[in-house]
Amino acid sequence: MTPTSTAGVFGDFYEPDEALGAAEKVRAAGWTQFDFLTPFPIHGLEQAMGQKRSWIPWATGVLAVFGIAFAQAMQNYVMVWDWPMNFGGKPHASWPAFIPITFEAMVFCAALGTALIAIIAGKKDTVTQPPASAANGATVDRFVLWIAATDPKWNADEATRFVRELGADHVRLVDSEGGTHA
Amino acid sequence: MTKLETSPYATVMDDSQLTGRPIVVPGAGPYGGDLEIAEPLVTGGKTWAQVDRDICLHAEEFPTRKWWLAFGVALAFLSLLVFALITLFYVGMGVAGVNQPVGWGSFIINFVFWIGIGHAGTLISAVLYLFRQQWRTGINRAAEAMTLFAVVCAGIFPVIHLGRAWFAYWLIPYPNARGPLWVNFNSPLAWDIFAISTYGLVSLTFWYLGLLPDLATVRDRATHPWRKALYNAMCFGWNGSHRAWRHYESAYMVLAALATPLVFSVHTIVSFDFATSVIPGWHTTIFPPYFVIGAIFSGFAMVITLMTFMRGYFGLKNYVTLNHMEDMAKVLMFTGMLVGFAYSTEFFMAWYSGNAWEGFIFKNRAFGPYWWAYTIMFTCNAIIPQLFWFKPLRRNTWVLFAVSILVNVGMWFERYVIVVTSLHRDFLPSSWGMYALTFWDYAILLGSFGLFFTLFLLFVRFLPVVAISEVKGVMDPKVARAGRDRPPIVPALQEVRS
Repeated sequence: MTPTSTAGVFGDFYEPDEALGAAEKVRAAGWTQFDFLTPFPIHGLEQAMGQKRSWIPWATGVLAVFGIAFAQAMQNYVMVWDWPMNFGGKPHASWPAFIPITFEAMVFCAALGTALIAIIAGKKDTVTQPPASAANGATVDRFVLWIAATDPKWNADEATRFVRELGADHVRLVDSEGGTHA
Repeated sequence: MTKLETSPYATVMDDSQLTGRPIVVPGAGPYGGDLEIAEPLVTGGKTWAQVDRDICLHAEEFPTRKWWLAFGVALAFLSLLVFALITLFYVGMGVAGVNQPVGWGSFIINFVFWIGIGHAGTLISAVLYLFRQQWRTGINRAAEAMTLFAVVCAGIFPVIHLGRAWFAYWLIPYPNARGPLWVNFNSPLAWDIFAISTYGLVSLTFWYLGLLPDLATVRDRATHPWRKALYNAMCFGWNGSHRAWRHYESAYMVLAALATPLVFSVHTIVSFDFATSVIPGWHTTIFPPYFVIGAIFSGFAMVITLMTFMRGYFGLKNYVTLNHMEDMAKVLMFTGMLVGFAYSTEFFMAWYSGNAWEGFIFKNRAFGPYWWAYTIMFTCNAIIPQLFWFKPLRRNTWVLFAVSILVNVGMWFERYVIVVTSLHRDFLPSSWGMYALTFWDYAILLGSFGLFFTLFLLFVRFLPVVAISEVKGVMDPKVARAGRDRPPIVPALQEVRS
């Protein structure tokens, strides 16, 4: 691999609607290793890109169950098994009193775990991303189409022409160092 | 694929053109009726690039003299807190006003007060998010930051209330060499530890998750390589990938759904500290909803206080418009009425229950030696927010500011009334007594405001105070897009209003 091999191509769109239309065309043309870099999430773009719903809520569910199990185990271990004490003749396993901590532990595990998993998933569950040094205005006001060179259909000239035909502005190839050229 | 519906009319408006009412276009509706267009959430015809500049600039410039002045005052009060706490630890609990029979004094009052303030942030970010209230985007970042700092302030008070604060870690259940000696999980005080720490950490997570895309914006604006590297690490290299947005959005929704019951649970559990006791005036089933609504009420008041300052000081009038302020005033009035309803219900139940102790304690609250505290509480919380029935008053920032301060005062006195009046005259008249704050109580109360404002001023100095990516999402793309000059403010706006 040469130090400045081509990493992919960028093309700018200026409105969410344009990005939505382009996403369907990119997908219909058979590209798979593509992404949109946007300053804010666009409603419906994941469907247009052919993505399924995020699996994050399932992870939350598992974490929530873990939180419930942990809180119940801890409280019952302490109050029933390890240090049983008599409070006004009430049962040791007084489950209603364990509800608040169980709820809090559920929320704690589910919320913190979900955020962590979502950040990691956003890093992992992606196509090859452009080099971090390739500034592209996608955190400001551009909706940047990115087609990675790892796409099986990849051909630099053809990809550039295709992105231009979509109506993208400022189409440029990106090399692995983050440099761009039209 | 559905196209975004963008109106041909007046999505560009100046702040002074806002009325708080929809723009009505007669006969333009889908079935020949009137078309009503909501006024834009961001005024001044801003583009997306301008949003970045307006919001990031004050975190990039060298701080102004006004910031240093405010920071200096906040630091002075923070030093007062440190000094008072050292005195408290060195001399002992005797310097504070708590004694028999009022064994829960200003520390518990301040704890409930600050935790209450800390409820509006997550309410705005989570509950209003689930209800699709788009006006939350202008205020949610600052409100969430306020929540975090209020929880930090609140966290001090139970610890110093313990008397021996250096043993506070005994509250945490972990296998220890003291037996192991565990906490009592049947006690609401143990529930409180879990509720407050969960609330603080989940609010922090929610706030930070919202910050990620904005930290990336700050990174991309940075010129110094160290600054770039720092913000890049803070946002985990966020690049706006829509494959990441998909998980991000899902996680944000899940966190909102988790945070909503959490908000309600936290103050519910705080109220259990009182409600599971046998003290008349505390032992009531109304306490959980009463506390929760009071918390939302006081939190919104604090958001209004901070926002009236910030929108002027940081030039955020285009992002936190008068319409936002009016919306908050409506929430304030609504929750104020619920609080007033709770006060009245307490009295009704005291009479209707036929319980002599309960009846006495409420008569004593309103007409006993602490009548002045009750009067301040009732006037500030139940009566003064009624001003907001009038639209001109809802849209007057001076009135809003004054009312929000009064509500904060009133809500502090609500906790004063609950804690002190219930304890000072209990079952045996021989053990009746009075309570007064000492100098050190006041010093710790004022000092906690110093801590709060120190943290808040550091926040506005280093981080974007408005959720940039969320605000961009509610702007009209036709107006805000790149590659176009800033469009003029529509001059013929008044003509399309009916």
